[in-house]
Formats: sequence, C-alpha cells, structure tokens
Amino acid sequence: MGDDDGLTDDAVKEALRETPKGALALAGLTVGLLMLAWVAIYVFVFLPRGPVG
Amino acid sequence: MSHERDVVRSELRWGLVTAAAVSVIMVFVIFAGVVMHINPPSNVERINPQNLHLSAEFTEANLGTKVEANGQVTARIVTTQFAFVPRCIVLPADTPVTLRLSSPDVIHGILISGTNVNTMVVPGYVSQVHTVFRRTGDLLMPCHEFCGLGHSEMLATVRVVPKAAFHPGADGRAACAEK
Repeated sequence: MGDDDGLTDDAVKEALRETPKGALALAGLTVGLLMLAWVAIYVFVFLPRGPVG
Repeated sequence: MSHERDVVRSELRWGLVTAAAVSVIMVFVIFAGVVMHINPPSNVERINPQNLHLSAEFTEANLGTKVEANGQVTARIVTTQFAFVPRCIVLPADTPVTLRLSSPDVIHGILISGTNVNTMVVPGYVSQVHTVFRRTGDLLMPCHEFCGLGHSEMLATVRVVPKAAFHPGADGRAACAEK
C-alpha cells in the first residue's frame, strides 16, 4: 500500500510524529486567546463596575 | 506502543493546560469575592406573594427610594407582569445602596445596564442586591427573564444622580422628578 501512493513507512511515521505538534499549537493558541479575552473582560469591564453582592 | 505512549503523554499535558486555565479563573473569582467584595447576590428571605401589596414592606406607599433612619439608602421595587413599580427610581452615586425586589406573580429578573447588578426575582422571596453606582445618568433596568407576552415592554429607569444632588424629602423618600 505504501508503494501505491509513493509513501514509505518511515515517511508515514514521521508525519504522525509531527502532526500532534501542530494540533497542540493550534489548540494552545485558541485556548490562550480565549483566556486572554476572558481576563481582559474581567479586569477591564467586570471589576471596574464595582462591588455587588 | 511508543505511539500510544506519546498520545497519552500529550493528553496528560493538555489536561494540565486546562487545569491551569480553570485554576487561573478560580483565582480571579476568589480574589474578586474576598478582596473586592464582588459576589453573586445571595439572600434567602421569604415573603407571601399573594398579599405582597399588603405586606409591611412592599405596600405601594413604601415603594421607591428611601433613606433609612441609619442612613442606609434602600430602593424597594415590585416586579409584576409587565411593569416595575415604580417605573423610575433615583439613587445617589458613590454611596452604598440596597435594592430590594419582590414579585407577586411570576419569575422576573433584573439587570441594570453598565453595572454588575443582576438578579432573579422569584415569587415568595425577596431579592436583595447591594452595590455602589460609579456612573451617573439614566440607566436602563429591563426584565431579563421571559415573564409573558408583555416581557419586552417591561423596563424601568434607574436615575443615578451625583451624591450632592440627591435630596430626599423630610420622610427620607426620593422620587424621580418629572422631566
């Protein structure tokens, strides 16, 4: 099968090793941006509105 | 095997990232609650909704803003289908104020735009919110819990005036002046 699409087993293994890094980078970036947005709204919008309880 | 080990390791690492994110949020929330006294309004106080209008506190004459004998500024509001009574309340800025609300009919909810004031008003209970208004002006207070066909028409005005311009009458009551 590896011969049919011109990929060697080593090339497939290499690709499988690299792919999760990109996924983690993308997930980390999106979650990081989400956290930044949450903190920014908390600090710059919610807290200045003053005490409530 | 080694591939599976890599997967488990990366999942564990990602678990740590999410745990850290949740921890950061919890630290912020605890800091705001303990240090800055920003907490969800919490008040368990029962009242009979069937004779709310006859209760000592929520009779029509006692609604609106009143400066109590101890100086505490309290606004009492009845939320009913589909209006707030009174429709406008006046409150001083930079002063601790207390809002007390109750409903004779169905569940309502209030928020005051541009502030952290936000609570449900459940029949049978008195909702109470303490806050300090930092901005002056007319703030919109809509019902934010669907309460029936007239829900979208149910709104009131909170008129926040500078502390020096807040002049309650001799009986301690203050009402919105006609504009």
